[in-house]
Amino acid sequence: MRLKIFRWKAIGPLLLLFAIIALVVVVFAEPIAHDTTEEASTELLGTQVDVGKLDLYPRKASVDLRALQIADPFRLTRNLLEADEIRLKLNPTALAEKKLVIEQLSLSGMRFGTTRKTPARPVEGNGFAPKILQAVDQWTKQFNVPLLSLTPIDTIRQLVLNPSQLTTVSQAQALLARTDSTRKALDQGFQQLNIRPTLDSAGALAQRLSATDPSKLGLDGTRQAIQSVQQTLRELDAAKNRVEQLEQSTRAGVQLLGQGAGMLDQARQKDFAFARSLLKLPTFSAPDIGNAFFGQVSIERFKQALYWAELAQQYMPPGLLPRPSPGPQRLRAAGHTIEFPREKDFPRFLLEEGLLDFSIGGTSAARGAYAATVRGLTSVPTLYGRPTVITANRRAAGSALAAIDVDAILDHVTTRTKDSASARLRGLKLPSFDIPGVPFRLDPGIGTSNLDFTMRGGGAQLYGRWAISSQQVRWSVDTAGRSLNDLERLVWRVVSGLSQLEVVAELGGAVASPRLSVRSNLDRAVSQRLQAVIGEEVARAERMVRAKVDSLVADKVEPLKRRIAVVQTEANARIRAERQRLEQVEQQLQAELKRLSGGLVPGIQLPKIKL
Amino acid sequence: MLTLLKLIQSMIKTLHSEGTPGQVAAGIAIGSVLGLTPLLNLHNLLIFSFVVLLNVSFGGAMLGWALFVPVGFLLDPVFHAVGLELLQAPSLRPLWSTLTNTPLIPYTNFNNTVVLGSFAGWMLLSVPIFFAARYGVARYRATIGERVRQSRFYRAVTASQAYNWYRMFRPG
Repeated sequence: MRLKIFRWKAIGPLLLLFAIIALVVVVFAEPIAHDTTEEASTELLGTQVDVGKLDLYPRKASVDLRALQIADPFRLTRNLLEADEIRLKLNPTALAEKKLVIEQLSLSGMRFGTTRKTPARPVEGNGFAPKILQAVDQWTKQFNVPLLSLTPIDTIRQLVLNPSQLTTVSQAQALLARTDSTRKALDQGFQQLNIRPTLDSAGALAQRLSATDPSKLGLDGTRQAIQSVQQTLRELDAAKNRVEQLEQSTRAGVQLLGQGAGMLDQARQKDFAFARSLLKLPTFSAPDIGNAFFGQVSIERFKQALYWAELAQQYMPPGLLPRPSPGPQRLRAAGHTIEFPREKDFPRFLLEEGLLDFSIGGTSAARGAYAATVRGLTSVPTLYGRPTVITANRRAAGSALAAIDVDAILDHVTTRTKDSASARLRGLKLPSFDIPGVPFRLDPGIGTSNLDFTMRGGGAQLYGRWAISSQQVRWSVDTAGRSLNDLERLVWRVVSGLSQLEVVAELGGAVASPRLSVRSNLDRAVSQRLQAVIGEEVARAERMVRAKVDSLVADKVEPLKRRIAVVQTEANARIRAERQRLEQVEQQLQAELKRLSGGLVPGIQLPKIKL
Repeated sequence: MLTLLKLIQSMIKTLHSEGTPGQVAAGIAIGSVLGLTPLLNLHNLLIFSFVVLLNVSFGGAMLGWALFVPVGFLLDPVFHAVGLELLQAPSLRPLWSTLTNTPLIPYTNFNNTVVLGSFAGWMLLSVPIFFAARYGVARYRATIGERVRQSRFYRAVTASQAYNWYRMFRPG
């Protein structure tokens, strides 16, 4: 019987099955795409993304998103962006290759910084974005922003210091132990040197020869005597080498002890700073005041810029090498999904052009002409070959909100990546903030705010500048919890009289080691006033701190330094003595050798001993 | 429990079907890919079409699927390692690049380590699975098959409505 390979009668049910699958796709595609879009974009951006409605238009290869909300990852009660409608025109060829190439994106009804009805959920998990958010939070902790301290001088208590808290004491104890072990090692070295037998035999030989008349020794006797002298000189030479080696190791050991003593002075400076911090002395140096007033708020601005730059680094890596990413979440293991970008093909994601151009009329504060463009936002910048360019601006003559200009360029085409962004806001109501450490709140009112941020080489170089300027500053003080002390009242009088504010914060260095400097027009005013009132008393308190630290460490450090000096002197003296003895015997032997060989054995080269 | 009962039902029906041991074994071997690889991928739709269109035991394929699901879960770490090796092999990179940029192929998720590793694992295991299944079915039918066929249990299983559907796809 001939075996049939195909089951032709099954074609009908199979086609029916495909039809059912197609029907299921048509019915459920939109809800699935809606949920997937929310889930994927929340994970990608590290902040809650809500989509009110999603409509698919397969024939036009386009997608409509309505009521889009992207929460601010740093303030969960606020939206970064809200849009009534977003229309995406997709490239169908790319879609067939499971790639998302957005040929055109248009938005309408955009609003920024709106308040959310319900706070966004913080994004957790092991995705890139939550990790970057954590890393950026960690990054902000690297800055040593001083807290403004306005403790009244009369409340500074007697300084109580425990010696065990001081670095100098612990370092002195460690150095003492090292000094003792160095001394023991030197003693052992001298014992192992063992040059006495060599000196004794050389001395005896010199004495014996001095009593000998070379003319009575004969040729053989003279030759033997010369050979004995030469042999002994070689032994002396070896002994001198051993002394030299010991001298070198002694010098190294003593040098280390000297360095340790130097470190003690540095440790003492740290202890001064530590003891000073215990007193909580009032801050009155101008740079410290600038940092204390505006350091934290500046870091917050730079932190947000760094977060988006780090996300860009993660999602837009340069190069065309295969790149793994975690696979999809499912019951089975997720594994890794590896992308294989290829020249002249579509990248996995590309937003070719996004255009936003609309205006708000009427008399509201938000009226004006808005325009924004996004070009070349892609997951494989090397394939696209051009940097991503983002611009947004708003013009509204006569409106309370004057102008906003935002420009960003993300250049990840080569490995020398550069992310730069600048935002210029003019005539805008700037957000108010608390001054850390004191119950003051600053409301800059309407002013200008400029932020420039550049990150090169994935964080190897950072540059940031944030400046705010306002002529209508208002200060408020919260005395609900307690009343202001004298110093706080003094500072309050200074700041509340100022209606102008100029702050410039600059960020430099690298992501791993950032530097921040902040200056403002308040620094000098507050500093001079405080200096005049409390300068002398603070200086006296500082002298007290120094005296206290000195009294606690002096009995540990000074004897130790003397001990180190004694070890050094002793070691040098012993080496000098050993060397002198060797040289003395050697000179005697050289003289005897000269006497023995004088005229009898011409041309004998006396061994040269380097001393 | 229901799944287990279904599995037993499927097994009984398949072992006593009119298909030859070779057809049942081929069904099991092809169906095992549905269990070994993550299910929701395009290639499994193709495999399912083969099961329906080719003259192999449909019950065998369902049995193979059910039997190899737990094996798939157990071997996931191995599949991941195999898939990673294959996807990272420099000599295969041009092939993967071409497939990534070929329409529809990326929907198979071949560039996922577990999917590729499990599919490669199935390609290796399918031949041993086929021969082992063919031997097992033949031995079963030659030994206890007839006694089971006479049992009430077998009659109860084969009397169900589902059996009528099954008959439609039994090997001819």
